[in-house]
Amino acid sequence: MNGGRACLIMVLLLAVIGGANASALPLADVSIATNAEAIRRGADTVVTVCMNCHNLNYVKFRDLLDVGVSHDSLDLWKGDKDLNAPLIGSTPADMALEIFGVIPPDLSLITAARAHGGRYVYSLLVGFYVDGSGNTDNHVFPGIKMPDVLGYTFASDNNEHQAIEQSAGDVAAFLVWAADPNAGLRKKIGIAVIIYLIILTTLLSFWKRRIWKGVSKRSSHGT
Amino acid sequence: MRRSLKSWIDARFPLSSFVKNELTDYPTPRNLNYWWNFGFLAGFVLVLQIATGVFLAMHYKPAAAEAFNSVQHIMRDVNYGWLIRYLHSTGASAFFAVIFIHMARTLYYGSYRAPRELMWWSGQVLLIMLMATAFMGYLLPWGQMSYWGAQVITSLFGATPLIGDHIVTWLRGDFSVGDATLTRFFALHYLFPFLIIAVVILHMVALHTVKSSNPSGITLHDKDNIPFHPYFTIKDLYGLGLFLIVFCGCVFFIPEFFIEPENNIPANPLHTPAHIVPEWYFLPFYAILRSIPDKLGGVVAMAMSIIIFALMPFLDRCKVPGGACFRPVFRAMFYFFMADVILLGYIGAQPPNATLTIVGEVATFFYFAIFALLPFTSYWENRMLLQKEKLPVAALTLIREESVIRVDKKGQGAQKGEDTP
Repeated sequence: MNGGRACLIMVLLLAVIGGANASALPLADVSIATNAEAIRRGADTVVTVCMNCHNLNYVKFRDLLDVGVSHDSLDLWKGDKDLNAPLIGSTPADMALEIFGVIPPDLSLITAARAHGGRYVYSLLVGFYVDGSGNTDNHVFPGIKMPDVLGYTFASDNNEHQAIEQSAGDVAAFLVWAADPNAGLRKKIGIAVIIYLIILTTLLSFWKRRIWKGVSKRSSHGT
Repeated sequence: MRRSLKSWIDARFPLSSFVKNELTDYPTPRNLNYWWNFGFLAGFVLVLQIATGVFLAMHYKPAAAEAFNSVQHIMRDVNYGWLIRYLHSTGASAFFAVIFIHMARTLYYGSYRAPRELMWWSGQVLLIMLMATAFMGYLLPWGQMSYWGAQVITSLFGATPLIGDHIVTWLRGDFSVGDATLTRFFALHYLFPFLIIAVVILHMVALHTVKSSNPSGITLHDKDNIPFHPYFTIKDLYGLGLFLIVFCGCVFFIPEFFIEPENNIPANPLHTPAHIVPEWYFLPFYAILRSIPDKLGGVVAMAMSIIIFALMPFLDRCKVPGGACFRPVFRAMFYFFMADVILLGYIGAQPPNATLTIVGEVATFFYFAIFALLPFTSYWENRMLLQKEKLPVAALTLIREESVIRVDKKGQGAQKGEDTP
């Protein structure tokens, strides 16, 4: 009886916490890939396109080796920079401020800094449209200063749209990885930890039952 | 050798007798249910937070220019730094979850009543210290929500008449939250857990004086107490296993759930986030703060909403044992209060609007109304249940068997004797 009510309270509590994180943005309902292949393709786009303006201050070139980026690509991307150098874009902040009127945000944590970050980035990249007066705007971020870099508004047929959507998904996958590079390892360890704990707790429950076997719990002491 | 060492120590320090009286042979009611596991779990989470916190402090830099970067350094460069940090950030939520359940159990079973008032009040002090520690710790990652949360909460002290502004400046060490605030919050965040340990010791000394309450609410005879070891060591360990499954599930699979996305943006004094929300464990109190239109009034109401728990031993005038389980009115009030707190928590998480404000005001009213009604309902319950002998048969049987409390004013079944009838 008590257990049921406690569960109800927990469910309500979770609903409350969940409600706090609800988002009203028109995000596309896609699942962001977590495989190394997509992350590598995303890395390519981010380094060659996004990093014209954006930085990824907390990601080092060396980190890209972890997702299987080849040394050749890495040498090409980093030029004469150190392997431990952070991914710094090619436009200095003050110049970007002059061109766009804002400093482009650092992308290392961008997916962690938005609710449903991966979907947010994907939806933003394919969220560009041309309004009635010929200006380009964005569904997810109205008034955005960033140009339509993947060219979604210029694409003329379905194939091109699909290719850009694929590319946007890869960028999102890479940025999700960049925000928390240890997430894969974390989940792998997590599964082992949970299995260990379930076995341990099961054994403890048997042990508890054995120790308590002789103790009567009279119903009059009830709860 | 071992024996002589033991007797050498025992001649100088009561080690064996302490272990025997307070740990292994410590008499514990046999009928405790699993809600009684949460005190031990709170102790476990406290140790976990201190252990992970010490390691975080080795890599963290408490300076406005470096704090955010050093957290990312912990997350990315320090070996298993992500694990230590997620254990600590999720541990904060776990601490409040465990403490709230521990408090709800105390309320439900009436464990705050005589002779356990000092336990309840030391627990109250612990709750406030825990809240202060959590609040200061939340500033340390130096994200947007850290910064603006601290800005909003410290500014509340500005509501103090006459000297409000001075207090705010004194707390922050500056006119607005900044480097000075961060360094002092770090120092105090490191200090407070040790003060908490001191109060926990007082809490434990009080516990071992009055012993655990139990679901029946009746002080049990010796025959119904069993030694703590092995019965409750194994029960606590089993409970710990269950807790760890849930806790590690959160730490390893959804740790970001407990971190506001906004807090992954470095603190920016020039840009206020659209919607400032405190951590989930402060939401009900935050909703009470917001539902009072007057600033000073809101702050007073929020403080009262926490401190008012201390009055419970005075407000509850019912002598019926067992808290809510034998008291229908109290039970209804308990569940109503829980629902009201959850509703307030929901409102605290939402951006304010006209409807929610009214709902929040009503919920705040009921929050305090429950406490205000308690003296009357508990008095009435006392009369109906005890004097008219309407207690459930189970309770009457139990009282007769234990025969240690006064059943009614005529002396029936009062303080009879030592043994079973």
